[in-house]
Amino acid sequence: MAVQAPTPSKPSGLPRAVALIWDMLTTSDHKKVGLIYLVTSFLMFGLAGLMAVAIRYQLAVPDNNFLVGDGYNQMLTLHGATMLFFFIIPAGVAGFGNFILPLMLGERDVALPRINAFAAWLFLFSGVLIYTSLFFGGAPDVGWTFYWPFSASREGHGVDFFMMGILTLGVSSLLGSANFAATVYNLRAKGMSLWKMPIFVWSVFATSLLQLFALAGLTAASLLVFIDRKLGFSPFNAAVGGDPVLFQQFFWFYSHPAVYIMLLPYLGIAAEVASTFARKPVFGYRFMVFAQLGIAVVGFLVWAHHMFTVGESLLFQLVFVFFTALVAVPTGVKIFSLLGTLWGGHLDMKTPLLFVLGFLFNFLLGGITGVMLAVAPFDYSVHDSYFVVAHFHNVLMAGSGFLAFAGLYYWWPKITGRTYSEFWGKTHFWFFLVGYLLTFMPQYVLGFLGMPRRYDTYPDGNYLWNELNFISTVGAVLLALGGIAWLIKVIDSFRRNEKAPDNPWGGYTLEWATSSPPPSYNFAFNWPSFFPSERPLYDWAKAGLKPAPVDVKDIHLPAPTVWPFMTALGLLITSIGISISPNATPDLPGVAGWQGWLTVGLVTFLYSLFRWAGRLEYDVPVEHHTVTNKSNAWVGMAWFIVSEIALFGVLIAGYLYLRLSGAAQPPEERPAIWLALVNTFLLVASSFTVHYAHHDLRKRKFSPLRFGLLISIILGTVFFLFQVYEFAVFLGHENPAQQLWATMFLIIVGLHGAHVVIGGTGLALAYYQAIQNKLDDHNHGTLEGASMYWHLVDAVWLFIVCIFYIW
Amino acid sequence: MLRGSIVVWVLLLLGLALGQDTRVVNILDPSTAYNREVTRLLIWVSVFAALIFIVVTGALTYTVIKFRRRGNEQGEPPQFHGNDRLEIIWTVIPTVIIVIIFGLTAQSMIANARFPAGAMTVKVTGYQFWWDYEYEGLGIRTSNELILPVNKPVIVEMTSKDIIHSWWPASLVGKQDAIPGITTRLHFTPEKEGTYYGQCAELCGASHSRMRFRVIVVSQEQFDRFVEGAKGFQAPAATDPTLAKGQQLFNQQCAACHAVKGTANEANRVGPDLSYFGNRTTVGAGLWENTDTYLIPWIKNSPGVKPGSKMPPFPQLSDEDARAIAAYIKSLKIEGLDFEGLPQF
Repeated sequence: MAVQAPTPSKPSGLPRAVALIWDMLTTSDHKKVGLIYLVTSFLMFGLAGLMAVAIRYQLAVPDNNFLVGDGYNQMLTLHGATMLFFFIIPAGVAGFGNFILPLMLGERDVALPRINAFAAWLFLFSGVLIYTSLFFGGAPDVGWTFYWPFSASREGHGVDFFMMGILTLGVSSLLGSANFAATVYNLRAKGMSLWKMPIFVWSVFATSLLQLFALAGLTAASLLVFIDRKLGFSPFNAAVGGDPVLFQQFFWFYSHPAVYIMLLPYLGIAAEVASTFARKPVFGYRFMVFAQLGIAVVGFLVWAHHMFTVGESLLFQLVFVFFTALVAVPTGVKIFSLLGTLWGGHLDMKTPLLFVLGFLFNFLLGGITGVMLAVAPFDYSVHDSYFVVAHFHNVLMAGSGFLAFAGLYYWWPKITGRTYSEFWGKTHFWFFLVGYLLTFMPQYVLGFLGMPRRYDTYPDGNYLWNELNFISTVGAVLLALGGIAWLIKVIDSFRRNEKAPDNPWGGYTLEWATSSPPPSYNFAFNWPSFFPSERPLYDWAKAGLKPAPVDVKDIHLPAPTVWPFMTALGLLITSIGISISPNATPDLPGVAGWQGWLTVGLVTFLYSLFRWAGRLEYDVPVEHHTVTNKSNAWVGMAWFIVSEIALFGVLIAGYLYLRLSGAAQPPEERPAIWLALVNTFLLVASSFTVHYAHHDLRKRKFSPLRFGLLISIILGTVFFLFQVYEFAVFLGHENPAQQLWATMFLIIVGLHGAHVVIGGTGLALAYYQAIQNKLDDHNHGTLEGASMYWHLVDAVWLFIVCIFYIW
Repeated sequence: MLRGSIVVWVLLLLGLALGQDTRVVNILDPSTAYNREVTRLLIWVSVFAALIFIVVTGALTYTVIKFRRRGNEQGEPPQFHGNDRLEIIWTVIPTVIIVIIFGLTAQSMIANARFPAGAMTVKVTGYQFWWDYEYEGLGIRTSNELILPVNKPVIVEMTSKDIIHSWWPASLVGKQDAIPGITTRLHFTPEKEGTYYGQCAELCGASHSRMRFRVIVVSQEQFDRFVEGAKGFQAPAATDPTLAKGQQLFNQQCAACHAVKGTANEANRVGPDLSYFGNRTTVGAGLWENTDTYLIPWIKNSPGVKPGSKMPPFPQLSDEDARAIAAYIKSLKIEGLDFEGLPQF
């Protein structure tokens, strides 16, 4: 399928459903990848919504026994984790982002289509992984926040599955984010400068940057809990001088910026919908973009407001009070600018706009209560109470959630190619609005009346608790009815099967210039390179410009391949095996057959990875134009490396804190420095050999290229073996469960070792391509990415030598 | 529609709430200086909040009414791209408001960071799923129900023996986390006698919602009587056959975990201290009234009535045995204390 015919028909004799599934498994089309995200996340929304109804059913009356204890805790954990990680985060940035962003940029795909498909499957599988725990003794029951030591104390493998799920999801998010960042950097229609991109593109870009910088906190937190559970040592363990609060610092370092990850894409959707349905440009485009970036930056300085009650120092708390309150300013600018966009327009009261209006009202409430929570003394009173529950549902459910539906209605005709019934859309909206208010407004009052969150039951006899909880449950039922109205709308839309026009709303951005749904190649046009504002279709109509048609026969798309899917599947099986392996804290035997899962998984993973590397992206050589003239692999890897630096940065910051506070003192007998120096020599040398190998490729000297790569891989392997030896010697005289410095040493140096393995695998993939003669001018992404990654591994090592071996 | 539903809702609440003899838990209860300070801050914030709320919802309502398409508009609306002056105004005004709120908050937090001199210190330790209290310098230990004198500042030092909990007597003061290996502190001065409802506020397992407690604020005179009685407490000798049997069973079955002052097991820390248990108003960590109705099933099968309870079930005990144990522990009592008539908060 290198040359794309306008109507691709499957010649094979397979039944339609099988052909469709095979098409999805092998696709790297950003629209289908977007659909994987969208379908998964909205299904997950429904699932987690049902859990919410179960929770409200339990809380409808006092002393209820429908769902209590660990079962209730499993339910609230799955509800929270599913809504956050599998609905609100992915639906906007990954779902709409994948489907719409390349269309808005006037491009055929994202920068790295196959990585994109891999990330989507890994996302889906990380959800599968967390739910797989139900078949191995029960779901995690520690809350989506999995605080240490609660998470390390739980029997069963539920928490192990949860941690592995978060780690694989993290890999998926980072690959997705690096891909978006590279796409925005490298692929834009000619003439579209950064400042002429639609607001939604900006918000996906800002969100991707946030993920790349912040996700390290979540990775560190879940990794350290996982290490504690499997290997039995932890830098949080106060018994050996560790700090339990450090877990919360790591966790919230991600999880607060995550709130903006959950918000920014949706603010972009709100701006697009408001502009289209008011028939006006966005009000204060530049201010909107700056506000978005402002939210992203200030969002990094507010995490500790989740920790006002852990007893941090006064100064520390004051700093976070200030920035927490301050983040309301750029958020306010967004709200006012949205109002300004609507002001003076001809408002077309269709369902997408209704959801935006509902968002504006509810988000205002959420913003106000957010500033209230920034007032720390008030926070001490309502922290972990129903006031907080009401607040975050205000901003996430009636905020981002409403906008997720605004986006879904707005782009429904474009994505499905079908119209929908406004009646059912509006019914859905009104049930959601009234149901939302009825569910959550009483919860604010419950906060004032002292009801804590995450309670499976409450006693009879506290003033108004019974009444408010009952009303809240009634509201949840209305929300469920709204969900049913939405389902009816979906079914109705597909049954009527009425073809949607290309541009049903009169939208201004490029996705509306193609058919609904768009063809696999998106556009058969050359765009005018005239972009005076962020509304190209409007500007072109005024200027009388028309896109020039091109022959679809000249359009080349990536060849379909199943290996990204299989690679992700291998990781899923591996992760199940790791999750059910024996635990050290608490002492648990592994589930029988875990070694089998692990072996099958690893073999599938490695085999698929190499097959993938052996499959060229395009069947015919294709010249890519990129905005920066750097390759997509280069830009993607550059952004990915940001996240790796952040991960080591977070962990090393934790080590420095423990070391400088005197808690982590090196033992008498430390790892030998001579070995570290030999290793340094090996690694630095391998960086040079990789560099020269890459050079040889440019000069088309293939034999030295292969040799250089082989030498690099051997040097890396020797390094790794030396490190294994060093660890064995070190563990012979130190017990990391008893010695905090040893704990940090094993974690950070061990993580670096894991990076050596990953980087070495990358080099091996490039070597495999080289011996198969698949490295050339057009196909060198693997080598480019792997060599950059290898230099990163080298640089991190130099840092580690300084802080662990020399200091 | 919205206003209508709010009116219905308010009426409904008032109607349901009237005539019920309930405990009013209220984080803004004006009986402590802490709550009054929070209320003062909240009023400031609310004034600004109301201002912003009225402006934005007003503008939103106006926009929806004024600018909704009526079908007869010709052409396109004016295509303006923004207004820099307006943008600056709605950046600067909220910033000023934020700075004011920060100033007030900082002032309040700095004042609150000064711990009162001459305060009594109580050490609180969280366990799954109950609370241990130790009065520093008095050599008194109790559990789940903390007795405090009115109008006397108290410093509460918190830690945990297993995982993170959070100690929250909602009507008295804000919460503070009890973290293993770390000591956190808060202070407050109760100004009103009464029984205050308290709870764990950090998810800690199956019975997180059943890790309640009470703070019983009494007159100085009652408190002195408590201290005196507790300091010199000796488990009384069993006076009748039931109590003797109860004592014997207690020593066999319960004493391995539960301490009773003046007996061989007074240093036990595995379960709640049961010295002067007869003075408790509640059982099961603030769950039920301290009567045989709740006490007997609790003694026989604790995890059956409180999920995840660490106290094992005792299927070998007959109803009669459990009754004897209950009678015995209820006989452990300091005379002259009465918490029955206290108002509930």
